[in-house]
Amino acid sequence: WAKRGCSSSSPKLLSQLKSQANITGNTASLLEPYILHQNLNTLTLRAACTEHPVAFPSEDMLRQLSKPDFLSTVHATLGRVWHQLGAFRQQFPKIQDFPELERARQNIQGIRNNVYCMARLLHPPLEIPEPTQADSGTSRPTTTAPGIFQIKIDSCRFLWGYHRFMGSVGRVFEEWGDGSRRSRR
Amino acid sequence: EPLQLTPEIHTVSLQSALQEANLEWTVPTFSHQELNIVFQIEISRMRTSNTIWVGNYSTTVKHEETVHWKWTSDIPLECATHFIRIRAMVDDAQYPPQSSWSNWSSWKEVNAQVSVPPDTLLIFPEDRLLEEGSNVTICLMIGQNLYNVSCKLQEEPIRGEQLDSHLSLIKLNNVVFLNNAGTNINCKAMNGTKNTFGTVLFVSKVLEEPKNFSCETRDFKTLNCLWEPGIDTTLSWHKQRSQHYTLYESFSGRREVSNHRNSHTWQITEDSQETYNFTLTAENNLRKRSVSISFNLTHRVHPKAPHDVTLKTVGATKAHMTWKVPSRGDYTLLCQVELQCEGEVIHEHNVSVHTSANYLFSDLEPDTEYKACVRCASANHFWKWSDWMQKKFRTPEAAPSEALDVWRDVRTENGRHVVTLFWKPLLKSQANGKIISYNIVVENEANPTESEQYSVRAPALGTNLSLDLHPYKIHISANNSAGASPESLVVLSSHSGHEEVHEKTIKGIKNGFNISWEPVSGDAIGYVVDWCAHSQTQRCDLQWKNVGPNITSTIITSDAFEPGVRYNFRIFERSVEENVRLVEKQRGYTQELAPSVNPGVTIHNLTPNSFSLKWQDYASDFQSGFIKGYLVYLKSKELQCNPNWERTVLSDKSVLCKYDVDDPETKTLTVENLRPESLYEFLVTPYTSAGQGPNETYTKVTTPDVRSHMLLQIILPMTLGVFLSIIVCYWKSQWVKEKCYPDIPNPYKSSILSLIKSKKNPHLIMNVKDCIPDVLEVINKAEGSKTQCVGSGKLHTEDVPTKPPLVPTEKDSSGPMPFVFLENFTYDQSAFDSGSHGFIPGPLKNTPHQLGLLAPPNKLQNVLENDYMKSLVESPTEETSLIYVSQLASPICGDKDSLVTNPPMPVHGSEYKKQMALPGSLTSASLKENNLTS
Repeated sequence: WAKRGCSSSSPKLLSQLKSQANITGNTASLLEPYILHQNLNTLTLRAACTEHPVAFPSEDMLRQLSKPDFLSTVHATLGRVWHQLGAFRQQFPKIQDFPELERARQNIQGIRNNVYCMARLLHPPLEIPEPTQADSGTSRPTTTAPGIFQIKIDSCRFLWGYHRFMGSVGRVFEEWGDGSRRSRR
Repeated sequence: EPLQLTPEIHTVSLQSALQEANLEWTVPTFSHQELNIVFQIEISRMRTSNTIWVGNYSTTVKHEETVHWKWTSDIPLECATHFIRIRAMVDDAQYPPQSSWSNWSSWKEVNAQVSVPPDTLLIFPEDRLLEEGSNVTICLMIGQNLYNVSCKLQEEPIRGEQLDSHLSLIKLNNVVFLNNAGTNINCKAMNGTKNTFGTVLFVSKVLEEPKNFSCETRDFKTLNCLWEPGIDTTLSWHKQRSQHYTLYESFSGRREVSNHRNSHTWQITEDSQETYNFTLTAENNLRKRSVSISFNLTHRVHPKAPHDVTLKTVGATKAHMTWKVPSRGDYTLLCQVELQCEGEVIHEHNVSVHTSANYLFSDLEPDTEYKACVRCASANHFWKWSDWMQKKFRTPEAAPSEALDVWRDVRTENGRHVVTLFWKPLLKSQANGKIISYNIVVENEANPTESEQYSVRAPALGTNLSLDLHPYKIHISANNSAGASPESLVVLSSHSGHEEVHEKTIKGIKNGFNISWEPVSGDAIGYVVDWCAHSQTQRCDLQWKNVGPNITSTIITSDAFEPGVRYNFRIFERSVEENVRLVEKQRGYTQELAPSVNPGVTIHNLTPNSFSLKWQDYASDFQSGFIKGYLVYLKSKELQCNPNWERTVLSDKSVLCKYDVDDPETKTLTVENLRPESLYEFLVTPYTSAGQGPNETYTKVTTPDVRSHMLLQIILPMTLGVFLSIIVCYWKSQWVKEKCYPDIPNPYKSSILSLIKSKKNPHLIMNVKDCIPDVLEVINKAEGSKTQCVGSGKLHTEDVPTKPPLVPTEKDSSGPMPFVFLENFTYDQSAFDSGSHGFIPGPLKNTPHQLGLLAPPNKLQNVLENDYMKSLVESPTEETSLIYVSQLASPICGDKDSLVTNPPMPVHGSEYKKQMALPGSLTSASLKENNLTS
């Protein structure tokens, strides 16, 4: 969790979070560059990416959460994403070869900080939920380690799930703004 | 007897990633110490009967030694079971040649297969690293329930060979590099799950040999080795790191791995090794490439740049340069010295140097910035120049070296010479510094002791002088901070600016004029051609060109010359005395253009059958070419062109006639043979050698009809005739009236009386002079009438006021109004009483002489005579008593003062009464008539 000072303005934080969610929800920020870099830009491989998304909390589930739980879930999920993207670095000879990756990680940290600050404005102390168990997505032979092809596909699916998740988060934040979720605690 | 040496395979180990099988076997029956044996190896795939490879391996076998051999499979070993067996044959000089092989060893099964779960597809090799251009075989191991498997290399479908229902092989030849993330192969079974299976081929670029490998020293302490590494073969996913480079020096046996891709610094040891032999090796996961060089250290010296460079100018044209070089014993360097000016090398020299050197630059230009450069190289074995060391310096100014190129324009105004001097700026090489001012000394040749000096500040390039008409010498020089230039001389004679010479027309060439002239005198020392660069604007910008003495032609070119602009050239002859004389004028165009405007045209003498056109002249200097004439176009629906007119039928069926007025001075044209009441359109346009003027809108004119024209011709003279007749008749009637029945008959003029007169009866008519007035009445007369030079006294009806007579009132009188009223009461009293007495309200005009009180003026006399004659005519008898009306006694101009001093006393109501002599019976009527007509 961030140690820096937080803004006391809830609308300002909310505005920033919506903006950050819009940016990170866009596949052009990470998935598309990844697909191009890994030569996955074919109909078959694109389909393989999107037809079996890695399990992220669904939008319906996020809507049903209270605000503190929602923030806690977002914070935890993005923590998992941040670590996972760190593991992606080994796929590239030099970090400069895929600058979008570090940019995405920095954005995720920014969102997590803002989520933390928003949670502080909602007085009940946050509890960090256990990270959502991500489904492996596909069954693969248990006798051998996954090959690079499979890692590519899994990474692609992960990024697709991440973008979808951030899109859902953004839409939930939008509803915060118009007051439609005020009834929840 | 052949030796029976049957091999026995002990182990087969597999390197799946490399698709290699390592075999180890022995020959149990081998009892010799050492023997050369040939082994034949047979390999079958899937079943022993399916032999895929047979080969021989010859080696020296020692007693109880295990033989090693490696086989590389063309397919991944995971894909199929392989079977291997070996047999041997002695191939050694100790034994006679063998003719038969030993028995085969037993088959050895090589099995790296993995089990394929149902609904799963395994693809081998997995993540294989291979070099671009190589071949690879992909095998598909198809699990249960899957069939109809299709694969793609990225997006390109690839087909394979089905070995059995669970194994397919796909051969890929000459694979290409896509990018460092690898080429994806993905496969899918048509009936299976939606899962995509695949593998990645990491195709590496072929490692290149390092290029341009070389080493050199700058300080004899280190060797700097450089090379061009070639393409980077790094691959993602850590499949292959960038190739690394190793240097090996064979004499010292040292080996060092470079930390850079293209360079390495090799420390030179203390023992001063002179010769070096380097091998540079590039290596990646797939191959090595090496290059070698050998050299003597002293032949690879690349000196550092010289230091402590100094420069000192000596006068305005020399500079002394010194510098030092890194020294090493008696090692000699060759230094190259360069002098640059404005980016160009103007001087180059080589100097041998041990530790320090100097050089003197000479023949430099004053006031010029230079850059001195020096670099050095080994004098004995040239390898490379050092970097340049450079220093800028500037030479001081010197006095200008050349006289100014001066020209002048002379014109005469108000009896003086107005001289405009022009000069061209000195070239940098002539000015030798910044020109500050120009000195002008004007010397009157008539009085050499009187000279005037002027200074014109730079950057002015001319000045005006106003001089009298005496001959003058004008000296012009340019000054900078170091001194003055040689003088230029301009000589003016009394005739300067008055020369009248022939002017001729010339034809220009592209961007210029070829001007030639006739020499006037034989002692010309040169000629000057001048012209205005901008002849069509107010700013002339006089240009001139000096021409040598024996040359009578020159080509004047300028980028400023424009087509369609007239340029006027003057050619002057320069004499020994520096006097110049205008010898010729020339004018021309670089390219004549068609006129840009048409003249304004007016129509004259419009008749039913003709009209005349008249147009204006042009200002010749602003023509776009020499006007050669004018084209007159006439257009009409029904038109027959006159002779000498060119006829053209237009698209609208109208006829166009063209007439060429080929004399540019002719500016009128009469168009004849036209139809009455017809519409004609015309256009007048000038033409030059380049064409005619703009095709503007035609001017329309309609010819009148004949009848109205004829009527106009008849009625106008008739009207004039009638009018003249009326005037004549009127005049004649007046004459007749005056002659025959005047208002006041004049007996002297009466023709009736001429007969009587002819009878010499002088007393028939009474002479007024003979009459003695019996009453003299003086009437106050208005001052105004007195000061107005009085009237002529004429009482003719023409002089009678046109307004009715007014009786002056007190109000109307601005002052005393003295006038004289003379009345003879013995005459017709009724005339007076009737109030019909004459009255002249205003001043009497044009009185030619002083009005005598007793002597009526001539005109009055005439009137009286006329009246008298009239009365005679109307009177039945000659004895009719005459009524004499006394005449006006009015002051006259000449008598004004006396009148003022003795003004007549104004009497109220006093007035001048017109007096006349009338027959008694006619008096009343006649006066009334006078009043009516007045």
